Amino acid sequence: MAVLYLQAFVFIILLGKLMRKIFFGQLRAAEMEHLIEKSWYAVTETCLAFTVFRDDFSPRFVAMFTLLLFLKCFHWLAEDRVDYMERSPVISFLFHTRVLSLLVGLGAVDLYFINHAYYSTLLRGASVQLVFGFEYAILLTVVLMTFFKYLLHSVDLQSENPWEGKAVYLLYTELFMGLIRVILYVLFMFIMIKVHTFPLFAVRPMYLAMRAFKKALHDVIMSRRAIRNMNTLYPDATAEDLASSDNVCIICREEMDTNCKKLPCNHIFHTSCLRTWFQRQQTCPTCRMDVLRLPRPQPPTPPPAQPAQPPMPPNMFQGFQYGWLPNQQPQPEVPPGQSSTASSTAPTTSTTNTPLSSPPSPPFLPPMMPPSPFMPFMYPQPPSSMSGLSIDELHTMEGEERSNIEARIQWLRDIQSLLDGAMLLIHQYNTVATQCSMPGVRIPNPSNTSHSNNNTSQQTDTKNTADVTLNSGSLGGARPKTTSLSNNTKQSSSPVKTEKLGDLSNLGATGFTVTKEEIIPEWHDPRKEEEEEDLHEVRKRRLQKFSSTEGTKADNIDLD
Amino acid sequence: MAGKRIKKELIDFQIDPPAGCSAGPVGDDIFHWQAMIQGPPDSPYDGGAFKLSVHFPTDYPFKPPKIAFTTKIYHPNINSNGNICLDILRSQWSPALTVSKVLLSITSLLTDPNPDDPLVPEIARAYKTDRCLYNKSAHDWTLKYAS
Repeated sequence: MAVLYLQAFVFIILLGKLMRKIFFGQLRAAEMEHLIEKSWYAVTETCLAFTVFRDDFSPRFVAMFTLLLFLKCFHWLAEDRVDYMERSPVISFLFHTRVLSLLVGLGAVDLYFINHAYYSTLLRGASVQLVFGFEYAILLTVVLMTFFKYLLHSVDLQSENPWEGKAVYLLYTELFMGLIRVILYVLFMFIMIKVHTFPLFAVRPMYLAMRAFKKALHDVIMSRRAIRNMNTLYPDATAEDLASSDNVCIICREEMDTNCKKLPCNHIFHTSCLRTWFQRQQTCPTCRMDVLRLPRPQPPTPPPAQPAQPPMPPNMFQGFQYGWLPNQQPQPEVPPGQSSTASSTAPTTSTTNTPLSSPPSPPFLPPMMPPSPFMPFMYPQPPSSMSGLSIDELHTMEGEERSNIEARIQWLRDIQSLLDGAMLLIHQYNTVATQCSMPGVRIPNPSNTSHSNNNTSQQTDTKNTADVTLNSGSLGGARPKTTSLSNNTKQSSSPVKTEKLGDLSNLGATGFTVTKEEIIPEWHDPRKEEEEEDLHEVRKRRLQKFSSTEGTKADNIDLD
Repeated sequence: MAGKRIKKELIDFQIDPPAGCSAGPVGDDIFHWQAMIQGPPDSPYDGGAFKLSVHFPTDYPFKPPKIAFTTKIYHPNINSNGNICLDILRSQWSPALTVSKVLLSITSLLTDPNPDDPLVPEIARAYKTDRCLYNKSAHDWTLKYAS
């Protein structure tokens, strides 16, 4: 028996040598090294696999495993050989024939054994064939990967110039194959644990496959990010830049003339070289500065009004509230000629509404029109990291953020229509209350002083009017800003309860205007002074309650 | 790309070789070089000539070359297979580096070993605790294998 084994072993080795002669010719030193290193692991794992299947132990079983090892060696050699393609200057016709026939042969053998394993598992239930089927499936992915690499290298060799897209294809192929391998290993683990025991022999390759996949995924994500940065943010190197440096790309050591990018650290490289490098690491080759973690290329020259932009919160009422804030702050600082602009653009809600409600604008308002298209995409930017963006960058960002912004604008419109509806309701209630000579709800907005100015200015301005008057006039002047804010919040919360009355912003807004105009004459008349005082007190307390909660929040944002 | 750059590096190397170093391709395989480093005078490796093999990967310069000592050397950061523990040959590689710069780094590693990140812990311990023993062993090995 031992003699038979030995004979078979010798036969296999001879066959291996013959096959190697046919398909590879002389092995290179590096290939031999790889082969020995990998077969060491493979033999260890095969021995481990024997322990799992010691019940099935038979000559046939050993032969199967030896064959598997034997085929594995050829897979590795094929992989190495195809890698070698890239570095060898001349690829002969013989090389192509050998590699192609080898790959086709290995693929066919793998497929046959997978098929065999599949049917034997179906017919005779789970056995050791499971392991073989799985191993050959893994080998098949190796063959596919090698074949794809071979194709890429061949295409690359055909052309004179280096093919830039190759690295990208390789990266994605690796990612895809890594995914398939991980799935196969996990599946295999799962089945083995269910059918037999824990397959210890598959742990190492599984770990390696997972690590490779993780690395491939990480590479793809990071390189995409870095390359996108490069394409969008970094400027092309100008002639002066090139003249001032020594004009040699430090990556490829070639002259630079066109197609060069300048990194934020002022180092210049070929765009293609930089792209290939970013596919591996995302640092500057010269100074190792991390391009993904650096400050923006143009350090703070923020467009005006941007630093005051707070983050757009998810909550819609908060969002509404914050929308007021930034513009209240700069208001006093605005030069007098532009104050109307600043104040009229203050609430985003009214700005977005401008095109809808189209009553004739008063002569001093026109400047509010131009900023309105500008607001929507300035508005929701997170402030801290984005503050240094130039207009171009804003445009690029706008592309991604557009849908979000549109959704937000829609929200704001809804909020305004709800608000206006609520005002209408309050007004109706007031009318009824005065008719019954009962104390009504006092409306803060239609204030005595400023309304007269704005008689003709319509609902586009309403929010702001309310804001200004609240701060300055009717409610005692000394009231803090947050009070007016929370006041608005209070109003805005009421329509939620009372359902959507004014569905269209236009409708609601009109209602609101009417409120304003009607309510003024009848406002002070039916009330006695004391009643008003009481109401003031009630209101103040209520507002304080609100401002203690919301106001602190708002103040925090002010600080930002 | 890789072949072109390696050829350029070879020309540069021949024009201006770094002190105490020499290198060149083995046969006509431009991706496989052999290099030689003279033991730095202020080190126990003085007088030795250490051979190294340099294998360029196909995607050089985006990946580091594989450099290993083929001469045995007694050093805390170089193991018996000749593998070198040097960050610029692994994670800290940059395409701006060249073989000549790497060889210079290896020369300075011979002068100043890094016992805090050892590849051979015993030698690192000797270096840290018994510098005389370390110097003597390194010198003996140099005489035995590298001269």
